Amino acid sequence: MDAHIRKVYVPMTETGFYILLCLQHEAHGYGIVQQVESLTRGEVRISPGTLYGSLSKMERDGLIRLVREQDKRKVYVITDLGREVLGLEMRRIERLYQTMREARAS
Amino acid sequence: MKDKKTELKFFTIAAWDKEQEYLRRMHRAGWRLERVGFYNLYHFVRCEPEDVVYQLDYGPEGAAEKDAYVRMFTDCGWEYIQDYAGYSYFRKPVAEMDGHDEEIFCDDESRLELLRRVFVGRMVPALVIVLLLVVPYVVPALGEPSAYSMVLLALFLVMLGIYCYIFVQFVVRYLRLAHKR
Repeated sequence: MDAHIRKVYVPMTETGFYILLCLQHEAHGYGIVQQVESLTRGEVRISPGTLYGSLSKMERDGLIRLVREQDKRKVYVITDLGREVLGLEMRRIERLYQTMREARAS
Repeated sequence: MKDKKTELKFFTIAAWDKEQEYLRRMHRAGWRLERVGFYNLYHFVRCEPEDVVYQLDYGPEGAAEKDAYVRMFTDCGWEYIQDYAGYSYFRKPVAEMDGHDEEIFCDDESRLELLRRVFVGRMVPALVIVLLLVVPYVVPALGEPSAYSMVLLALFLVMLGIYCYIFVQFVVRYLRLAHKR
């Protein structure tokens, strides 16, 4: 992974994180919106402008790739590079969470 | 009673939120935007007064794939109205939102991206135009001062002043967003 990808995506935006999380399985944009809404019990609502921008950027940087287009919706899936970035981000968030728990408990 | 009306309105480059508010205000007063036309003429048709949020996006990446872009917005409940001068116009009734005002951008990162796109697509070309007018006309005219060259200079200074005003507006907006993060 080159330095640019690391700099831009670690840490990444909440929207970016949810996109990669959902795209471990194929999905289109609106599918991601719905999944995130149900995963977070309606608390996180991704807006289309933000989603469109993130998807375009991630496709350009090779974190996700276009699988096909159906019904004018683009279906994407995560790439190996995307998985790598997601893994880094998950470890970062886990560490953050751990630290927070420990700090709270002490 | 008339069912259509047209208003002429100008918004500076950095003021698309004012335009959004204007369109929302009109809709609340019972005037639904039909289309924005040449020279910033806003065409409205009479409708039931309703609280509808209007949003503008500018020059998104991969805009060649317009269908997929518009589809994503309509999937999320945003009606696509039209494109005008590089901007895409969307609207969504507040009644269809979850008790709070929705926007087409949900984080400051993407709002900054929008500002950057407008800057590159609007501010930079505007500066180029201003400069292209100065170099060939104003500079030679200054060599031989006359009433004509003074008028040119005054005109140029007014244009430059307007440009600087918009530029400062832009920078203030950018910094405000960047600092919030």
